[in-house]
Amino acid sequence: MISANVVFGLFGCGLLSFAAVATVFRLRRFSAGARVAAVLAAAAALFVPFGDLSVAAYVRGVTGDPSISTLVLAGAACIAQLTGRRPVGQRDLRALVWLVAAAAVFLYPFALGLTPFDPYALGYGSVGLVTALLLVTLAAWYARLNLIVLVVIAAALAYLAGAYESRNLWDYLIDPLVSMYALVWLLAGLRGRIGLPLARRVPPSVS
Amino acid sequence: MAVPSTGDSDEAAVAVGWQRWALLAAVMAVFGGLYLRIFTAPPPAGFASPKAAAPAMSGAGPFYRSQFLPNSTEQSVHSATAAEISGGRLRAFWYGGSREGASDVAIYTSVFSPLERMWGPERVLVTRESAQRHLQRYVRKLGNPAVGRDRSGRLWLFFVSVSVGGWAGSAINLMISEDEGETWTAPRRLVTSPFFNISTLVRGSPLQFADGTIGLPVYHEMAGKFGELLRLDGEGHAIRKTRLSWGQSSLQPVIVPRSETEAVGFMRYAGDPPNRILMVRTSDAGAHWSAPVKIELPNPNAAIGSVLLADGSLLLVFNNAPENREDLSLAISKDFGNTWRIAHRFEGDPGSPRAQVSEYSYPWIMQDQAADIHVLYTWGRSRIKHVQFNPAWLEEKR
Repeated sequence: MISANVVFGLFGCGLLSFAAVATVFRLRRFSAGARVAAVLAAAAALFVPFGDLSVAAYVRGVTGDPSISTLVLAGAACIAQLTGRRPVGQRDLRALVWLVAAAAVFLYPFALGLTPFDPYALGYGSVGLVTALLLVTLAAWYARLNLIVLVVIAAALAYLAGAYESRNLWDYLIDPLVSMYALVWLLAGLRGRIGLPLARRVPPSVS
Repeated sequence: MAVPSTGDSDEAAVAVGWQRWALLAAVMAVFGGLYLRIFTAPPPAGFASPKAAAPAMSGAGPFYRSQFLPNSTEQSVHSATAAEISGGRLRAFWYGGSREGASDVAIYTSVFSPLERMWGPERVLVTRESAQRHLQRYVRKLGNPAVGRDRSGRLWLFFVSVSVGGWAGSAINLMISEDEGETWTAPRRLVTSPFFNISTLVRGSPLQFADGTIGLPVYHEMAGKFGELLRLDGEGHAIRKTRLSWGQSSLQPVIVPRSETEAVGFMRYAGDPPNRILMVRTSDAGAHWSAPVKIELPNPNAAIGSVLLADGSLLLVFNNAPENREDLSLAISKDFGNTWRIAHRFEGDPGSPRAQVSEYSYPWIMQDQAADIHVLYTWGRSRIKHVQFNPAWLEEKR
């Protein structure tokens, strides 16, 4: 019997895999029928086990369970490839990647044992971490950065529901994949190679 | 949110405003839930009092016995652990395969009967294939097991698995048995690290807290090498974590509580010379730990075993050399780790039988309810050796 934690984890890894493949092959170039066929084929290829495991389970062995930030961005990438419309505006995306990058810089070096301080341990239930997250979320709400607000709400709900095997809030907020994406996005944006063309191409749909 | 361009603008603005306030209400609701979770969590409890061993039978003569655990496949074996089960028996676990890190490595188990003074035949408990099927993740290889009991008597077996890379890519899995190890739950993954949940390993035995939670000494091995103490709830979820050390030179902690608040921990040392065992202490049930200090005993970057006896003596099994694992010895401390005296040499005496691979390592030690002391260790990477002695024998060594 597969637990709900496993189902949620496999779904996340499947979504992540599909987003990566759809983006690499630029699925939006194809006809609507081809896109629907691609979704069905991907669902079968990702979730139907061959031998003991499905492709999603192999991905899960490498990535672990993806955070809600990763799922939201992967979901947005899927929608963009399937409909041709980007559901996330550039302003929202930029704010989210800045926030993820800042959180990653705070979390990962110290979690590697740089000092006695372990920020990951705060994720097991720290008034300080939750209060900081609340302040950031309220600031995002005030600035109408709704993507951040929605990601935090979804992550908190998943954490409270115990959607994953983890009982650590950090694991629902960020992971190394979205952190690397954020850092690359920011670095590329700083160099003007990705940020500017994206900004021109994508009309803001979320304000 | 999209702003309508023509007509019904007031109505649309009201709708947008309503959505905005609903979003704020949702924020307040979920953060209310987060704060509620924190403020209703029970405060961490102290260490459970160790069960007192029965006083050594008066008149029982000193004894010291040793034997090998079964290894019918003649494979490479390593990293034994055990727990006392009903009837004074021991159930041991170790991993074996064609070589350390091979894909055919499995977790084995066997039971020692004190009446027959023999180990039963070994059986395979976990294979790479069975682990990945239950975990629904690719698993490349298996590693160290560690076993302990919870307050309701269930056996908790933790074991390391790797999906990608070497041991630095490890994660910890948990199985629970309610029938002394005859049947087990399917393995479940512990989430302990923010890096794809990798690089946490286990070696030391778990310990009990008074509130029924389990303490699991673990260590991190990617980029840095340091020890941590996880606290697990009754279902085996990590709910708290405390760092025992930091940096790049300490691993494989074993923790020995003495009271509800006091404990000592020992760690393998992987840094610059002098190569000595690291020690940490806590006086608040593991909430805070002293900075690691090197004790007088050497450590050739090798695992350590330790136990507190019912009479208050602290025993430590270790490789008594700074550079190799050819000498395995027993040290005793009467002052909870401040000073040590070598009491016995298990392996490494001139003229004693030698394994093809001269390595005697990864010791595990416990005192059973009859007060006998058991030591398991890897003998030449080809066998697991079991040494059993009683307090009367130890008394002669003092």
